[in-house]
This record gives sequence, C-alpha cells and structure tokens, in this order.
Amino acid sequence: MAKFERETYTIDGVKTVVYSAGSGEPVVFFHGAGTVDGFDFAEPWTEKYRVIVPYHPGFGESGDDASFTEMHDYVMHYLELFDTLRLDRFNLVGLSLGGYLAAKFASEHAHRVKRLALIAPAGMIDAMHPMLDILAVPGEQVPGLLVSDFEVLKKRLPEKPDLDFMADRYREATTVARLFWERPGDPKFMRYLHRIKMPTLIVWGDEDKVIPVGQAQTWRKFIPNADVRIFKGAGHLVHLERREAVDEVARFLS
Amino acid sequence: MSGAMRFNSMHFMPYVYLPDHHKDYKSLWVSFPNKYYDPEKGHELYNRYLKELVLADQLGFDALVVNEHHNTVYSMMATPNLIAAALVPQTKNARICVWGTPPNFMLPNRLAEEYAILDVMSKGRLEIALPLGTGMEYWANPVNPATAREKFKESLKIMLQAWTEDGPTTHYGQFYTYRFLNPWPRPYQKPHPPCYVVGTGSPETIEIAAELGFGYASVFVTQQRAHELNENLRQRAAHYGHTLRPDQLPLLTFVYVAETQERAEQEYIGHLQRFFEDFARTSPQFLAPPGYLSTDQLKVRAAMADKLHGGFDFAAISKSFFIAVGTPDKVANQLGEWSRWMKTNHINCVTHVADMPHWKTVKNLTLFAEDVMPRLRTRAAPALRTAAE
Repeated sequence: MAKFERETYTIDGVKTVVYSAGSGEPVVFFHGAGTVDGFDFAEPWTEKYRVIVPYHPGFGESGDDASFTEMHDYVMHYLELFDTLRLDRFNLVGLSLGGYLAAKFASEHAHRVKRLALIAPAGMIDAMHPMLDILAVPGEQVPGLLVSDFEVLKKRLPEKPDLDFMADRYREATTVARLFWERPGDPKFMRYLHRIKMPTLIVWGDEDKVIPVGQAQTWRKFIPNADVRIFKGAGHLVHLERREAVDEVARFLS
Repeated sequence: MSGAMRFNSMHFMPYVYLPDHHKDYKSLWVSFPNKYYDPEKGHELYNRYLKELVLADQLGFDALVVNEHHNTVYSMMATPNLIAAALVPQTKNARICVWGTPPNFMLPNRLAEEYAILDVMSKGRLEIALPLGTGMEYWANPVNPATAREKFKESLKIMLQAWTEDGPTTHYGQFYTYRFLNPWPRPYQKPHPPCYVVGTGSPETIEIAAELGFGYASVFVTQQRAHELNENLRQRAAHYGHTLRPDQLPLLTFVYVAETQERAEQEYIGHLQRFFEDFARTSPQFLAPPGYLSTDQLKVRAAMADKLHGGFDFAAISKSFFIAVGTPDKVANQLGEWSRWMKTNHINCVTHVADMPHWKTVKNLTLFAEDVMPRLRTRAAPALRTAAE
C-alpha cells in the first residue's frame, strides 16, 4: 500500500478510512465482505486513474455502526462520503459484497456512475446457481474456498492461530450478519437492476466456489449491455489470482 | 422462601443413544444429524425422565428444573413448557422451574401467556428464567445473533408489561408492535412468577438482572467467576435500589451421593466425563455465531477454550466447577461450604448427567434427599445469617 495515502473522515458519525493514489479520472473500489485480500492489487490502476478505496463501516480500518442493517444504509453512507470528497461522477468497481453494493448504488444513482465493473458480485438470487451461504461455513474453512491456488492467499494469513486475526474476521462476519443473517437475499435488488444503463463489465473466475460462475449469465439477463469476461482456473478472488483480470478492468474503464 | 435451604433437582433429559462413531462429529449440537434420533427410544426416555423428576418431588426436593436447547443430544427439551405442563398434575409441592425458553425464540406475548397458564395450572408453583440462549440455538432458530441482546431486552419489557399492567396496553418497539397487549390468563403469582436471568456473567446480562431486581442463574462458569458474578450482581442491584435475597442467586452444582467415596466416584465419573466430552461437545463456530459476542468477549473466550483443551481430568474439573461427589457427609459439607462462600441458600443440583442409568439416578436422588438435605437444613441457620449480612 506504499503508494496509497490514508485519510480519515467522519461520515454521519462513523469513522471512515479512505485510501487513495494516482491521478486522472476517479475510480472507486468497493471491497468485499472480508478485507484479507488487501488493496495492493489495485496499484496498476493508479498509473492512469485516481483510485479511491474506502473501508466500509464495520470492516477493516473503518468504524462500526450497529444501526447499519441493510444495504441501503451503505448506499446512503457513500452518498455522504462522495459529497465530502466532491466526487460527482466516477467509475465504480465492486468485488463480491462490494459488487452487490456497487450495482445497487448504480441502479439508484445511475447518473453518478460513468462505468461500472463488477467482480464476482454478490446479491443475485439465482436458484440455478446459488451462492454459498458463507455465514454457515466454519471460519477455518473460508480461506480455502476463496481461491483456486491457495498459495495466492496464504501469505496474507497468519501462520499460526492468531486471536487478533480471528477477532477481526469475527467483527466483519458480525457486520455481514447484521445485513444478511435473517434474509440472505433481497428480491427487490434484482427488480431495479434494469436501471443500470452505463457501460458495465462483469468479471468472474470459472472456479469460483463462493458465487458460481453461472451467475455471470444471469447478471446479463438483468443488465443486457454488460460485457462478461471469464478467467479460467481462478476462484472467487479472481483479482488476486489473475493479473489479467485487473488489467481487463483498467482497459474497460478507459 | 428466603429462609430455609432450598434444593432443586435439575434434569437435562439427554438423548443417550449415541451412534458408535459419534466421535467423528466435532459437535453433537446444531448439525449432528437427526437421523440418529429414534422416537421409540425417545418415548422411553421421556417417560423415564419424567418419573425421575416426579420422584424428586416425592422425596422432598423443593423445585424441579427444566430448560431449553435445540438440535442436540444434550437435551430433548426443545420446548420445556410442554415438560413443565406434564409435571404440573404429577407433582404436589415442588416448584416448577422453567429455566427457560429464550424469549427471542417466541413471540413475547405468547411466552407470557404460556408461563401464565403454567402458573395458574400449578397454583403459583412456577418460576422462570430468561436466557439469551446459547450461541448454538441461534444456528437452529431463525433469529439474528447480531441483534439478539437488543431483542432480548425488548421481549422482557413486553412480557413484564403484559404481566404487571392492566391491559389492553400498547407497545411500539424496534422488533415488535402490539396494538392490543392484553393476554389472558394472567399469572397466579403477583406481580408475576419469580424471574431469574440466565447467563455466564457477561456485564450486559448482569446489568439486565440488576436493573429489574431479578435473580441470576449462572451456568458453566468456574467457581471463581461465579463468586465474582454474585458479588457484581449484588453491587449492581444495590445501585438500582434492589437488595437481592440469598435465594435469588442459585448455585449450580453437579452432585452424586453413594455409600463410600470410592463407590461414588466409580459410579459417577464416567458419566460426568461423557457429559463434558460428548454431550456438551460443540465447535467454536457454533458457540459464537457472528455478533453473538463482542470481539473482546470472543477473544476472552477463545483464550479460555485453549486452556480447557486436553483430556478430562476429574480432579481438575472438580476444582473448576461446583461438583460434589461422595458420601452424604462429604457432599453436605461441600455444599455447606460453597453456599456460605457464595452467600446463597439455593442449591440447584444436577442429579442426572449424560448416560447415567435410571437406578443410579434413583439412588442419587434418594440418598441426597434422605441423607444430605437433612444435614444441611438443620445447619442452615448460621449459614443464612452470613448470607443475609
């Protein structure tokens, strides 16, 4: 993260940490439900863009707000943050849970999103290709499900059981539970996806064990003009496993 | 009720027919397949366990305690009010303690109604405890562990309002809306049956009990922690203007009585070992669903769990928990000592554990009632003066 600058904002009472680097057109990245994967994968984007990476409330370095009980609370949070950052119109990239959030933000505030890239996005209710209910998976099994090649993730995990690491993951799982424990899916989310008219790219690894790659085509049914790029041999964290996926997003944004 | 020594007989009603390969399962809770439940064996067990509870009433135990767990061999009482209802007409004197249904898993008006029905049916013999529910129960019931504590507090408020205010009243809260809160019947006891909060002594549950002036039934905490918990609760209750009676702080004990120390240990320890190693066996994931604990509490408990790992050691576990095994004299002395130290006169005895057979349970109940209780009841006066100070 050497290239990134860290800023802290208070947004509606919630401590919000934002990393940014580079110059050019703004690109906002929404991370997924865990923050183990880090943000350094996004460094290549900083060569052409101003890359802005916030930690969502309840994740990573940002503060907690127990009143965030639905995705809409995050949309409102980001409206406030983007006003504070004077970001009017920008490119938006989201991964997994962040992809769900990015698509929701784009469907509600289409005029603010220039181009939208969704990397293995969550949020789709797809009976033919159901998402793994990761809340039901024992914590120690989760890392192995995120990637095809475990070596990619291994260096980001503690070598021995580590109470602080475990507590950080538990805190993020708590944030996810507040949103999804009782209702993992929101049918209304799909209902409004047709409002996404900006150029859209959908990226997936064909060995994704969390959200099956079959969902990529389901997304296209809701967003017909979206381009889909599938990367062979990659898992859910396709952005860590395939540099080409990161480059593909950069190409799409230009 | 705050005067004499009081003895409860508590039963978990476990399903004891574990398959031979059950050690292959990390947890006998939540996900342990229910294909291993045989209803014919379950039928025999219910009948047998009810007889053991009824016997405890006949032998002179002051109260019978049942409680609620889901998806597990540990307890067959997914709905303890049904068991309590079966006990009411079969028992005469003992108080019936449902300790209890987690209010989060029922509509609060309905739980208030069920308890009122039991209280009226039993002519005021009901006592209830209000647990948040173990982490495991939140995997079995469709209730969010991340908002469990807020919901629990709101449920309690509704139940107390239903019992103490003339209806119809209204409630507009975060989780529930009542336009006509007006349950029939109302409890026999006024203002309501004696209530305890159940827990492991987290600051949040202590505060709830202290504010309401309720008792507190601690479960699976070490001796030292139970002692601190009682002290904390007395202080916090005083802060809210409540003086807790000794009987509001029941002491959870595991008891087994036999003719000699050797025989008691020989007859009992294997069952206790299987209770801790098998019946209570579950995974860290099930113990702490997301949001059930604060991250600080999670770290404390994870560190504690590391210490508890390792084989079953009767001597060590007897020092950690309140486990009294031996001759009537030894058990009476032990309980007397603990009750003085804990400043309570209310002993909640687990009289059956794990796969203990019927004959041992009958023997334990009988020896305890005939040879332990009288020793402590006559000795109770000085202990209580200490407790009341």
